[in-house]
Amino acid sequence: MPVEMNGAPLLEVRGLGKRFRARHGRETSPWVIRDLSFTVRDGEFLTMIGPSGSGKSTLLNMIAQVDVATSGEIVFDGAPVPMTDPKTLRPGLDRRIGYVTQDDNLLPWRTTMENVLFPLKVQGRLTEATRAHAESLFRAVGLAGAEGHYPHELSGGMRKRAALIRTLVYDPPIILMDEPFGAVDAQTRVQLQDDLLRLWALGRKTIVFVTHDITEAIALGDRVLVLSKQPTRIAAEHAIPIPRPRNVRDIFALEGFAPLYEKIRAQVQ
Amino acid sequence: MSTEDQIADTVAEAPRVSRTALIFGGRCLVVVALLLAWEGCARHFGMLFFAPPLATFKRIVDIAASGALITDLVATLRVSAIGFAIGCAGGVLMPFVLRRLPRLTLAIEPYIQASMGIPKYALAPWLILWFGIGDAPKLIVVSIMVFYVMFIQVFAGIRAVDQRLVNMARIAGASEMAIARDIVWASLMPYLFTGLKIAMPRAVSATIVGEFLVATAGIGYSIEHARQLSDTVGVFAGIAVAIVLVLAIHLVVDAIERRILAWRPVDRDMEL
Repeated sequence: MPVEMNGAPLLEVRGLGKRFRARHGRETSPWVIRDLSFTVRDGEFLTMIGPSGSGKSTLLNMIAQVDVATSGEIVFDGAPVPMTDPKTLRPGLDRRIGYVTQDDNLLPWRTTMENVLFPLKVQGRLTEATRAHAESLFRAVGLAGAEGHYPHELSGGMRKRAALIRTLVYDPPIILMDEPFGAVDAQTRVQLQDDLLRLWALGRKTIVFVTHDITEAIALGDRVLVLSKQPTRIAAEHAIPIPRPRNVRDIFALEGFAPLYEKIRAQVQ
Repeated sequence: MSTEDQIADTVAEAPRVSRTALIFGGRCLVVVALLLAWEGCARHFGMLFFAPPLATFKRIVDIAASGALITDLVATLRVSAIGFAIGCAGGVLMPFVLRRLPRLTLAIEPYIQASMGIPKYALAPWLILWFGIGDAPKLIVVSIMVFYVMFIQVFAGIRAVDQRLVNMARIAGASEMAIARDIVWASLMPYLFTGLKIAMPRAVSATIVGEFLVATAGIGYSIEHARQLSDTVGVFAGIAVAIVLVLAIHLVVDAIERRILAWRPVDRDMEL
């Protein structure tokens, strides 16, 4: 694992700032995010933790280029990407940034399998091979049998799995995840975390995973960034010394978990 | 498989069967009551003012046998269908174009609103002056009627598209064309069908009204012709044919809608 830990930076966020436009008049609205900088190495699983309302979704929206930044830039794979002009935004940065949002955003009029194949279809990359790959991912997360069902016929956990592998099928080099397991019960949540780690171990994608759950942040990541209250900045950074493969179910018992948990809890206020 | 069984279980609840029977029985009762009231009115007001149901039915059988019914139906359906197609194409395509031109949309919106105030049927005599007594005036009135209904529905549908789904598709690398087709078009289907259900009967009635003024065949023509002869049975027969025609069209649209919108959970749970 140390090899991945020392990988080259894949994504660099520099001096990112966001303030929403004032409603009326000249009064300026406060900064939601201010002067936020961090780096993600190639193959790294980075988790970010912050109190609710700390602009976590806004941050990922800006990196995914669906929302405009007020200041700052990102450097992707060595090339700077403009992000302050709505006209030059490139959502998903030419399929190089995948984004698993808080809501599953499955198309309600498409079956589960059609939803999973959707990116491949619109990218014109739906071949025998990519379809077979998608089907194996589909089975790997326990969705077998749900191919022909519509999203509203699935449980919350199944919808989350479908949304997750919909991004995995087209293999973007970096995947942003915004509390993807937020609205499911604790049991399902642990199962989903386990699935994610298993899939990640196979492909070693670069992942930026945002959550408000300290346990989740520690269980999944190589490194965790703690976000401050508004205006959001990086308040602290911790390497997670727990070796992989990890068993998410008894992460509490593993050496190094408890002190790190306490440290982070003190910082997330 | 097990999911399928669970779904089947929740859908097929026991009291549904008797409920369906109850509704069907209720509908039959309404038909019987209407026929009785119709017969009663005919006896009370006399043949000239109220044609009796049996005579009306017999007339429909007669004109069906003589071939006049088919000629009329074809004439009315032809104008309705062509007018509907023109109005529908405009009413569906224009919102898609305006979606890409938000400033133009804001500029012309009040004029579109104002033009809705024009009484469409009142245009007919003036249109006859311009285009003569062919099909053109009828087609124009029908298309305008259909256009407004479809335009309002589709425009509302486009505005209601879930932006989060559009963002998802953009990130996944979908082109604007793919977004228009797979997200915008798909999500406005419920609006489109509501529009179709309103516009299709209107297309038929607008055609019939048009045929009162200029026609050599058609349901409207036969009603107007019968009226001029004080043939109330003929008028009633024409109206009955129009009702059945609209009902038949509605059933076809309904069946198509149920197929295309099968994904909607509400349609299953709220089905009567």
